[in-house]
Amino acid sequence: MAVIRLGYVHVRVTDLAEARQHYEQTLGMDTVHEENGRTYLKSWDDDDHHSVVLEEGGVGLVKFGYKVTDDGTLETIESKVSSFGASCERMSKGDNAGVGDGLRITLPSEHVLELYSEVERLGTKVGKLNPDPWPRDLRGIGVPRINHALVTTEDPALLERFFRDVLSFRPAERLVAGDEDSDLVGSWMYCGDQPHDIAFVKGANGKLHHFAYEIDDWSALLRAGDIMSMDDVPIDFGPARHGITRGGTIYFFDPSGNRNEVFAGGYRTGPDFRPITWTMDQAARGINYTHREIDQDFLRVVT
Amino acid sequence: MKAVRVVPHDIEVWARPGESVVDALRRYGWRSPYKCRRGGCGACRAQLRAGELLYPRAVADSVLSATEQAAGACLPCRAVPLTDVVIDLGSQPLRAVLASSAPHKNPDPAEQEGP
Ligand code: FES
Repeated sequence: MAVIRLGYVHVRVTDLAEARQHYEQTLGMDTVHEENGRTYLKSWDDDDHHSVVLEEGGVGLVKFGYKVTDDGTLETIESKVSSFGASCERMSKGDNAGVGDGLRITLPSEHVLELYSEVERLGTKVGKLNPDPWPRDLRGIGVPRINHALVTTEDPALLERFFRDVLSFRPAERLVAGDEDSDLVGSWMYCGDQPHDIAFVKGANGKLHHFAYEIDDWSALLRAGDIMSMDDVPIDFGPARHGITRGGTIYFFDPSGNRNEVFAGGYRTGPDFRPITWTMDQAARGINYTHREIDQDFLRVVT
Repeated sequence: MKAVRVVPHDIEVWARPGESVVDALRRYGWRSPYKCRRGGCGACRAQLRAGELLYPRAVADSVLSATEQAAGACLPCRAVPLTDVVIDLGSQPLRAVLASSAPHKNPDPAEQEGP
């Protein structure tokens, strides 16, 4: 049984037309489906039906979905959720376009997390037979695929325990204010061999800090920054390197103020990876290794 | 152009038609507190002391509700002055910056006037 990766992020946007302009033209995603005021999009190297859903009205996270293996993972997790004392319900095929039956969990942080193993495959744009490394007709940044999300929670230690005990994630990096469990400020956790598939920091329950797209390397980051300047996209910070995960980054905002990231690099983890600890006095270096300084608001500003 | 006075810093700038308070300040070299500049995060939240503001683009109720707005709260990154206005940033700082606003793209040659 295993959780494979972040499959989709479903966010609210104040203006659907402006949001589509950003996600399609600036980021380069393709709309694959529209229904009930929702727009479903995928990136060129996403194999599955979609990875982002935009819904008009408000800002912030509606829910996110992680794909799991189809060897009884959903049943195992369902029973683990109830022994943990959290709540979950069955999700039905069609609740999300292209996605099959699954589980809908309300996390201890009040975020809605969906798990599924069945999903329609629309295929990557380069295909699976003798493919080119990238498609010729990319728009804007041309983000290849979604990578991770960072959310906020009142109780990081509790959420870390949930992801560990129920979903078998492991922490790669932990930001701590002291030795007690209650001193955990943030945790970057993985399910495969990435440095993180989900991360959370202390803050209000139910909020989204950002979701990230993976891009090739440092020069792809710089080019992404060029496109953001051409399209007057507000930058939060970057290009810079994270101490935590060692990835390269630019944080920026969509037209509704939801934070996005383009993320490149980072090390590999795996089942024997021993977690890294960051202390609060080094938090700025952990988040922005290049500048060693972050805006006080960086961790507080969420949608 | 509408006058935008920022207190307690006592700075005055002029906003172009349709320009937000934050963009007008940036054009004059002032960086007020903001993050997303898109009305989503609430980082720029301030108090309107005088005048009237318009929000040409939708702002989420969770960021600025009608009740908060009635009590004088505003989002300078999305608020466009309808009249001369006074904005109170409280104890939040105003920093001097050199910021370039949205670029003027090269005009479409087809739309350029002839000689
Ligand atoms: S800066 Fe985010 S709401 Fe104004």
